Amino acid sequence: MNPTLIKYCNTVAIIATVGLLAGCASTGVQNPSGVPVTEMRPDERGFVAGTGVESQDLVAVTDKMARSILGIAQIANAQGTPRIVLDPVKNETRFPINKDIFLTRIRTQLNSKSAGKVLFLARDRMTTLEHERDLKQSGQVTANADPHVVEFKGADYFLTGSLQGMTTKTGAGTSDYILYAFQLIDARTSDIIWEDSTEIKKQGLEDAAYR
Amino acid sequence: MNKFCWPCICTVSLLLMSGCVTVEKGPAIALTGDIRVDGPNAIAHGPARDKVLWEYRAAAADMRSGNYDQAKQYLDDALLSLGGVFGKDKEARKARGYFNEEARKTFIGEPYERVMAYYYRGILYWMNGEPDNARACFRSGQLEDSSSEGEQYNSDYVLLDYLDGLASTKLGGDGTDAFQRAVAEDKKFHKPPAYDARANVLFFLEFGPGPLKFASGQYREELRFRVPPSPVHSAVIHIGGQTITAGPYDDLGFQATTRGGRVMDHVLANKAVFKTSTDVAGNIGIVGGAVALSQRNQTSQEVGLGLLAAGILTKIVSASTTPAADIRTWDNLPRYLSFASVHLSPGQHVATVEFLDFAGQPVSSLTKTITINVPADKQDKVVFVSDTSITPQTI
Repeated sequence: MNPTLIKYCNTVAIIATVGLLAGCASTGVQNPSGVPVTEMRPDERGFVAGTGVESQDLVAVTDKMARSILGIAQIANAQGTPRIVLDPVKNETRFPINKDIFLTRIRTQLNSKSAGKVLFLARDRMTTLEHERDLKQSGQVTANADPHVVEFKGADYFLTGSLQGMTTKTGAGTSDYILYAFQLIDARTSDIIWEDSTEIKKQGLEDAAYR
Repeated sequence: MNKFCWPCICTVSLLLMSGCVTVEKGPAIALTGDIRVDGPNAIAHGPARDKVLWEYRAAAADMRSGNYDQAKQYLDDALLSLGGVFGKDKEARKARGYFNEEARKTFIGEPYERVMAYYYRGILYWMNGEPDNARACFRSGQLEDSSSEGEQYNSDYVLLDYLDGLASTKLGGDGTDAFQRAVAEDKKFHKPPAYDARANVLFFLEFGPGPLKFASGQYREELRFRVPPSPVHSAVIHIGGQTITAGPYDDLGFQATTRGGRVMDHVLANKAVFKTSTDVAGNIGIVGGAVALSQRNQTSQEVGLGLLAAGILTKIVSASTTPAADIRTWDNLPRYLSFASVHLSPGQHVATVEFLDFAGQPVSSLTKTITINVPADKQDKVVFVSDTSITPQTI
């Protein structure tokens, strides 16, 4: 019963146990109970993020554009109610996006906050509207007014925009800059009566395991 | 002496037997060899780390069988993972550790694989009448090719730049810069033709078996690529009385083997050095310990025992080190990418696509027949044809 020997043995046993626990440890299934749904505001940056177009960008950009449009003289001091048609946004970035979502949000913001100062024309529903008019004209359905009188309104303005981007990728990470520019174009003169933009730049670096 | 060493021996034995067991993450799945069965099954029930890999494979298979809506879903999900790898990632961090394999990280693929995910999605966007989103995918794809460390063949996909410019031209923009980049990049094959703005039928062609990964090195720590020979070298399209030759513009074998270095290559090399060093140190400890134990001197025996134990422990650490490279492969990619465009009148047309061998002779078993309904509006008709496509198709 050599005390030194016992000390050696115990030391080795401890080291081996630590090795067992730390060195060769392998984990099992991650989050076996799942991760509960986290509800977030659309204007806040979530824990899942990339360098592309995200909900907080959409909210920030469209809020700013809606406020800006309502402030211009042609809308604020218009004699009648200006009619606006949405023309699809041009996406020139490297991110595929649902282009309609920007204009949809600007439209809903304007409709809810402008108190009738502007009206939007549902040109994307023209096929359905024309079909209904045809039914009325043929007498298949009732009509409250003469269906042969053209009542579809013409546009006073076109609201459109573009997304343009610049990207840099180096060993230090990826950097994406996007310029969101929107315009209101006079349908009669082609004058651009209003234009505003927002710039957003994001950078990120992936784990070295992916580089 | 033996009596007091039992705890030590037992612990070491236990360590040897169980310490290095790797727990499989996620349930194992039974593979049938049919991607149309294995893909959905693996995506739904397989390990989460392989989900993107199976989505890639399943999407490619769906593209070839004309199941474009399903391919779109797989690619959208895969590209979400691909675009969201920024910042800390627990599994990626562990994959860099000495005692975990690289393959435990979530698979997103090597640059050529990521490029192809964007390329396929771009085709599908164009097919859906969204050439600007298609262009966005081609641009993101080209960017993925610039991610390699020390890459001298940076963003050099001819077709991605060519299609970027074509989309810009069709959208009323200026595609000149992109076209010039495409022409400048093409050093291996024929230069792509000038844009035909009138062309309303776009053929995206692919042929030959794509690159495969394997590992070399003492501990399989070096990622390598094998490029199988392709029986097909070009294609010919017969449609509406026209014959269009489509040679390759991009070679995925070339792209895979010229990808440049990865940061992970250094990590794996360090792991391999560590594994060798600890193995050698373990050998020295065991041999030295055995020699010391054989001495009759009690102090020598005690020192020998310590050396032996330390040697065994070091050997265990060496054995637990896993420098093996991740060789999970998107294994149903093509070798060559090609493209052709033609102007056709609205209505139905039957296209016959022949794939030619190196001698320029059609490989009869690979001939594809596709019935194309060209729309009367200005929207382009996109036709995707692989030498492994299941035809006849009507689109």
